[in-house]
Amino acid sequence: MSKRTPGDFLKSVVGRPVVVKLNSGVEYRGILTCLDGFMNIALEQTEEYINGIRVSSFGDAFVRGNNGLFAAFFGVNYFISILHSTGKVKKSIMLRQHTKECQY
Amino acid sequence: MSVSSVIEQPLDLIRASLDERVLIKMKADRELRGTLHAYDQHLNMVLGNVEETINEIVVNDNTNEQTVKTTKRKIGMLFLRGDGVILVSPPLRTK
Repeated sequence: MSKRTPGDFLKSVVGRPVVVKLNSGVEYRGILTCLDGFMNIALEQTEEYINGIRVSSFGDAFVRGNNGLFAAFFGVNYFISILHSTGKVKKSIMLRQHTKECQY
Repeated sequence: MSVSSVIEQPLDLIRASLDERVLIKMKADRELRGTLHAYDQHLNMVLGNVEETINEIVVNDNTNEQTVKTTKRKIGMLFLRGDGVILVSPPLRTK
């Protein structure tokens, strides 16, 4: 794989199922619609997970992302990218569940 | 034209929710439901007919027991400073 910038990576993730984990520990799982330079994020078919338990769901959701407030975005997206590039799907049970859930 | 085809950046999702009821999750475990009248790039917002839900963890001094206390209040018109916003969602479209 050729050299990629973080921006290229993010562009490649748009339209894919992602997990957005906030610093508070809350997770939002959904399809990444778009994002901007502040890392504001728009998601579709969003589900909110607290401690791994689904708490609620939203059709669309806007997550405010600047100022280093809450949106820590990379953790799982990074894993998703590993998942796609190596095909090692068994790497993480949680992620396997996630990919199953996200085959809409 | 569907809503999603108009959305190119995240703030377009907010624009698509103007004059609609929205759900806003805030820091400190607060939620607001109200009609979105105006917003800007900081997510400062003007909301009408707002219901605020506050979830507090209350510790009983005697037993050290923790319970969640939910308080609701209604506000007719409200200016909201954007830095407390975590998430904005149009709640009616979800069901």
